[in-house]
Amino acid sequence: MSETIQEKKLLTVFKRPSSSEGIWSWITTVDHKRIGIMYGYAAFFFFLIGGLEALLLRIQLARPENNFLSAAEYSAMFTMHGTTMVFLAIMPISAAFFNYLLPLQIGARDVAFPRLNALSYWIWIFGGLFLYSTFIFGTAGAPEGGYLAEEIGWLGNAPSGGWFGYQPNASIKYSPGTAMDYWAVGLQILGISSLISAFNFITTILNMRAKGMRLMRMPVFTWMIFATAFLLAFSVPIIAIALFFVTFDRQFGTTFFLVEGGGDPVLWQHLFWLFGHPEVYILILPAFGIVSEVLPTFSRKPLFGYAAIVFAGFGIAFIGFGVWAHHMFASSISPVAQAGFGISTMIIAVPTGVKIFNWLGTIWGGKLNLKTPMLFALGFIAMFVIGGLSGVTHSVVPADTQQTDTYYIVAHLHYVLFGGAMFGIFAGLYYWFPKVWGKMYNEKLGQLHFWLMIIGFNLTFGPMHWLGLKGQIRRTWVYAEETNLGFWNMISTIGSFIIALSIIVFMANWAYSRRKGPVAPMDPWDARTIEWTVPSPTPVWNFSTPPEVENLDDFWHKKYGEDSEGRAVRKDTADQLLVDLEEDGLNPKEHIKLPNPSYFPFILALGLPLLGYAVIYKSVALAGVGLVLFLIGGFGWALEPIEEETIENSSTASESVGHE
Amino acid sequence: MSDHRYPHEPTGIETRKLGMWIFLSTEILFFGTLITTYLIFKGRTFDGIKLKEVYDIPFTSVSSFVLLMSSLTMVLAHNAIEKSDQERANIWLLATASLGTVFLAGQIYEFTEFYHKGFTLTVNIYGSTFYVLTGFHGAHVFIGVILLVILWGVGRRQEGLSLDGGMNLEFIALYWHFVDIVWVVLFTVVYLI
Amino acid sequence: MNESHKPHPTPKQYVQIAIILGILTAVEVTLYYTESIFGVFTNPLLIVLAVSKFVIVVGWFMHLRFENKLVNIFFMGGMILALVLFSIVMIERASANLF
Repeated sequence: MSETIQEKKLLTVFKRPSSSEGIWSWITTVDHKRIGIMYGYAAFFFFLIGGLEALLLRIQLARPENNFLSAAEYSAMFTMHGTTMVFLAIMPISAAFFNYLLPLQIGARDVAFPRLNALSYWIWIFGGLFLYSTFIFGTAGAPEGGYLAEEIGWLGNAPSGGWFGYQPNASIKYSPGTAMDYWAVGLQILGISSLISAFNFITTILNMRAKGMRLMRMPVFTWMIFATAFLLAFSVPIIAIALFFVTFDRQFGTTFFLVEGGGDPVLWQHLFWLFGHPEVYILILPAFGIVSEVLPTFSRKPLFGYAAIVFAGFGIAFIGFGVWAHHMFASSISPVAQAGFGISTMIIAVPTGVKIFNWLGTIWGGKLNLKTPMLFALGFIAMFVIGGLSGVTHSVVPADTQQTDTYYIVAHLHYVLFGGAMFGIFAGLYYWFPKVWGKMYNEKLGQLHFWLMIIGFNLTFGPMHWLGLKGQIRRTWVYAEETNLGFWNMISTIGSFIIALSIIVFMANWAYSRRKGPVAPMDPWDARTIEWTVPSPTPVWNFSTPPEVENLDDFWHKKYGEDSEGRAVRKDTADQLLVDLEEDGLNPKEHIKLPNPSYFPFILALGLPLLGYAVIYKSVALAGVGLVLFLIGGFGWALEPIEEETIENSSTASESVGHE
Repeated sequence: MSDHRYPHEPTGIETRKLGMWIFLSTEILFFGTLITTYLIFKGRTFDGIKLKEVYDIPFTSVSSFVLLMSSLTMVLAHNAIEKSDQERANIWLLATASLGTVFLAGQIYEFTEFYHKGFTLTVNIYGSTFYVLTGFHGAHVFIGVILLVILWGVGRRQEGLSLDGGMNLEFIALYWHFVDIVWVVLFTVVYLI
Repeated sequence: MNESHKPHPTPKQYVQIAIILGILTAVEVTLYYTESIFGVFTNPLLIVLAVSKFVIVVGWFMHLRFENKLVNIFFMGGMILALVLFSIVMIERASANLF
């Protein structure tokens, strides 16, 4: 069924763009689904780059005293690997899910501020490209007594202060050149994107829910978006200031973090981790949400303890603000501070444990359907628990002073961020694939991906627990022959290549299925939440008629009743319901107004990296151009008409000529 | 403004206004970090010129008062719009923007004086924290003035503003008041204490 | 827009509020000059005055007092979070040289 989109002819200066095909339509789109898709592809591209960086690291570490990478190159690679995976892979892939699914899960047409949504995306991608342009334009001068110039090479012209940029290592004295500025300014730009998204999503959740979609009827994934947005909203401003301080120190001669000028390097640590710790919850909560959707669907049981999971999610978010200095146990903070933060870190294990038990309770007694999304969700639970357990050992302060800066921590963080967040994300990618693309992925390849990945993953990171406790130090480009750590490092490297292989399988599955996969039905998984009540792939208008929600898991309740023993019994009306939903979903009966596309988010976003280059190279000309773009973008945005794109109903579509 | 949304704002607050409140909540953390940094360094002893040696409390008091009064003109503009009195609204809007500009002019004058007396951005950590903190506030005021002027311009173009639709006075007013209360805190913390 | 709009203060009331704000500012400045009179109480008093002005502008000019609870919670939540987190940082940094 085809629809015709009518455009309103506007008699104003800033007519809004009207194309619906081709690259221009993507550049000017404000449609949350398209924005989500753009985030997803770009983020996955960066994920691959981050993965390549990791492989380079692992090759270097495969043997003791290896010389595949120089020390300068190694530092750049682990810095970029961490920064890329956190800011350019996991966060934006989560953003992809949030963007695509939030309006669908709450029964809305789009988010509260569609143009701001587009702005978030364009700022993010330009910020990511800006950061990576360090490899083209950036320089990492050799600090006195530090790297020799000939060691830096091409790979070394990148930020090398770690993803956490500790001072004074990342200051102009010990990281001369411009590479660290690409890091500070780049992260600043990325932060703006996240902040805008955060208050967009919070406003959407509060104000755009369909009738009957009370807060306690929202899917858990939506709740986790809320918690994540809350964390972003209150933590990004802190890092924004901290990054301004770093840039001012490096560029304008201030001494916020430099001891010789009366500054305080530990202040950087506080400010960074005040952001950094909520950041790791930002990374994991979306996966918690995804898994909370997948497990009930594939266990054919409702989520165990919905309210507990929701409140635990917020509990984690709140307490997550109170644990940051557990990253600073070895930074000469007082024993009182250490004790306080050690305790708060132990406390945060409680709501996390609540969630784990609830997920187990969901699976218990269910009829498990072990398709790929479910495999990843189960894998998530197992891997995340391992990561969580090692995390709890870190909260014991004396133990942590031994563990910190060793591979034991690397093991922990990868078990929770890869085994946790990425496994959850893969579960989501497979779960919602049919809804987004209208095709089914290949199940066999999906299973292959899972098994290769979980084996490769454990081979890579499992040994790191032991390696760390044996004393292998983080962020060091070589380890000595005498340490006898070579064997397990080699195993770890082999594991990393198995992971790479599994990702190739995933990409092949994706590409093939998008093109030649079997057509997916509207409700392939017999799911529970209302995003499954729209046709696959989702029509541009989402819901033909605004849904009216009566229950938690509303879709399930429309398909299933309960027998006397509380077991689900499929209603006779269920099959017809599916047919009707699809029919109605493709044929809107009333005028539907969608937010119009706009040029201005793209233009405004373009100003930011230019301002960034201007700061680094002290170029007034670039600053001028950047500012002009900013102003054009801003004024154009403010002054463009709000006229909205209208979808005619299909019966009049073919007859419509001219304009209203 | 509910064209693409269902006319059902569960919170009962207009969506743009709600968005602005959330944004302002984030700004609390933004300015909080700046103020905290200022206070941390203020407590330490070091060499060099201090703010106390160069400032002029009477002058700053007057400009603080000016900014405070701009909040009054702002609410009067809002009040005028509620009564659909476009003329009055325009007058109060421009008054607010003017008072904001006067405040900014005062800041610029003050800072120039400080610079001449040797209290610069890089003279010591005290200078750094002072200028970055007040500078960010000033930048926010500047943006606020621009928003007010845009609003006035939109009003002229559309033949009047309303509380619905497009550039909306209410949510810009919230931003403006927030910029004012940040200064309330800054004036006390930086100058008086 | 179905906003259950509670009535805003009248222009006259707004001016009255503004006058109060002006008086509070005048008191603050006076306190600054009469530090010798109040001694160690000067700073706490200044803080109280600043907080009062803050609350008045937020509550009445920004109308928070009359808005939906959720907005109140969010804004106040942000304030409390900032106060708690930054107090901890300041105390930690101040005590860093003591132990």
